[in-house]
Amino acid sequence: MGARIEAASALASHGWHQPTARRLADAAARECLARAGREASDVDLLINAGVYREDNMGEPALAALVQEDIGANLGRPANGSHGTFSFDLANGACGVISAIHLQAGLLRSGVIRLGLIVTSDVDPGHDGNGSDLVRPTGGALLLGWDDGIAGFADFHVETFPEYESLLTSGLTWHARRGPHVPLAGAGHSQMVVNEQPGYQARCADCAREATGRFLGRLGMSIGEIDLLVPAPAAPEFLDRLRVGLGVPGDRVAFTAEDMAGAYTSGPIAALEAARRSGRLGEARNVLLLAVGAGITVTLALYRQTPPGAPPA
Amino acid sequence: MAGERGGLPGHWAVLQSPDPRAGWGCRVDSVGVRLPAGRLTTSELMSRTRHRTRIQLERLTGVHERHVVEPGENSFTLATGAARDCLAHSEHRASDIEMLISCSITRSTGGMSQSFEPPLSLYVKQAIGATQAINFDLSNACAGMLTGVFVLQDLIARGEISCGMVVSGEYISQLGWNAAHQIRSLFSPQLASLTLGDAGAAVIVERAPQGAPGIDVIGFATLAEHSRLCVAYPSTVGPGAQMYTRSRKLQKAAITDMVPLLADVLGHAGIDMADIDYLIPHQTSARAIRKGTAEFARQLGASPKHVVVNIEENGNTASTTLFVALHKYLEEQRVHKGDRVMLLSLASGIEVGIAVMTIDSQVNRYGRTH
Repeated sequence: MGARIEAASALASHGWHQPTARRLADAAARECLARAGREASDVDLLINAGVYREDNMGEPALAALVQEDIGANLGRPANGSHGTFSFDLANGACGVISAIHLQAGLLRSGVIRLGLIVTSDVDPGHDGNGSDLVRPTGGALLLGWDDGIAGFADFHVETFPEYESLLTSGLTWHARRGPHVPLAGAGHSQMVVNEQPGYQARCADCAREATGRFLGRLGMSIGEIDLLVPAPAAPEFLDRLRVGLGVPGDRVAFTAEDMAGAYTSGPIAALEAARRSGRLGEARNVLLLAVGAGITVTLALYRQTPPGAPPA
Repeated sequence: MAGERGGLPGHWAVLQSPDPRAGWGCRVDSVGVRLPAGRLTTSELMSRTRHRTRIQLERLTGVHERHVVEPGENSFTLATGAARDCLAHSEHRASDIEMLISCSITRSTGGMSQSFEPPLSLYVKQAIGATQAINFDLSNACAGMLTGVFVLQDLIARGEISCGMVVSGEYISQLGWNAAHQIRSLFSPQLASLTLGDAGAAVIVERAPQGAPGIDVIGFATLAEHSRLCVAYPSTVGPGAQMYTRSRKLQKAAITDMVPLLADVLGHAGIDMADIDYLIPHQTSARAIRKGTAEFARQLGASPKHVVVNIEENGNTASTTLFVALHKYLEEQRVHKGDRVMLLSLASGIEVGIAVMTIDSQVNRYGRTH
């Protein structure tokens, strides 16, 4: 018995006019709920794990806006029904797995019965000084409880702060130069993303180390992993990771081309690709792996085997 | 099947309360605060508005002064200072902390007015020596810290971890300066920004010994139909953000929905409002708190014994207000072992969070006897 993926959806903004993080998250959430045959009002907990937004709004949480847009228990529910609780979680590219960790626990406790995770990012360098780290994409993942499978049971997180300066981002204030102009602002906050050379390679090395320790703790070998779901999908990360772990290509969920550049949605995009190919359904032990700034490595083992069954 | 610590179904709030058959109890071990030394009185702030406003802000809100950062201080230094103070009041060492969650709205560091990556929690855990802790940031407006406690409560109750820290550093007084540059009248949607003050706060949540008092119930609901009543985004006036609040509508909506939510959460835990010794609400304005608590008493038929208002000296310190107030009452030894304290979050979203806890021996680590 464990937390089970009821549905996932990932989408890119191809053809959209001025995509926003909010619209991307909304669209992914609606598609995900439709695939699961669920109503928005069924959702007890909604966590947004996206990072880069067009307006860099500080409050409210984007999750509350998504809750409003999809119509999940906006006000006082009818007698006997339940409400929805929403908040944002920020852990860069690792946010989805952190959110799964929290929701799987709350499902296990019976505190919630259905959890929705949304992610979305838009290009943080829209004013000309960003990076090609992010392309506008959105994702959603719906988690429920299943007595028939072990589901999400084991998680592992490691940070490598010696590499914390390899990827940094944030807003910096730029005062406007020139003479005073009525109604013109005094300046603006600009998003600065700084990715140092070698970041992706260090991510792969850290991921390999952390994966070894995680599997060692579980008494498993990499050969017992039927499907590796990695993020990011950048070749300089993924190729090095595959070689380092010794995982053949047919056991890796490669993100579809149209979702290349997915940032916080990366793990969902890879999962979705595996679902489409049918490999997710066939896999007994699925290892979700995400690496982000910090360097932070998050891992989740998803077992589609009966509870208590041996891992392989 | 899953456990039964939750309130579902039939409860509006997503809530948790301890079940001695199913898991561990959970309690607040210690609270730490970092208040910057700088102070800014309301009269001084209002004397520096760009336009002549005639707003009697102190009379209207009850805010006499607020702490403001000095050069070199920011969200990170406030959060780190609070985390160290929290450890100083705890029997835990930094190495005991298994999860550290940073929950501030503002995330300024030395180089960035708002840091996005890596998460601020990584910097804080490294600074205090909690290097082994799992870390991430959480953002839920002024309800951030209580949301962090909600998250830790579940992990501790299931036995996954035994000790975690929630931390927040709010360098948010910039919003007041940005508002002072633009505000023209009492009806400005930036009026609430003028009440903001800086503070850092931290809380350690731990597994409670068998039978020991702790968190009796904690619950949250998001009233998303009112999601746009308070919004903040980067300013073009100066560094930091601008916040626009429809205060009257927010207050009306909050009071209307908070009463049944309070009844829902307290009813689940079998607690009456009259059992609450200290109600610590989110500190927005003295007038709003008085009006809200009077309405609670009218509709619920009972009142808490004391309502904590410390907005006069600190202003609204965003996500830290509840724990800054709790820390003050612990230091002043006004709360005692066995007292029941209710923390009541109200935040943009609208987020409503309610936690009731019974104070235990942690009081012995505060005040002159410590």
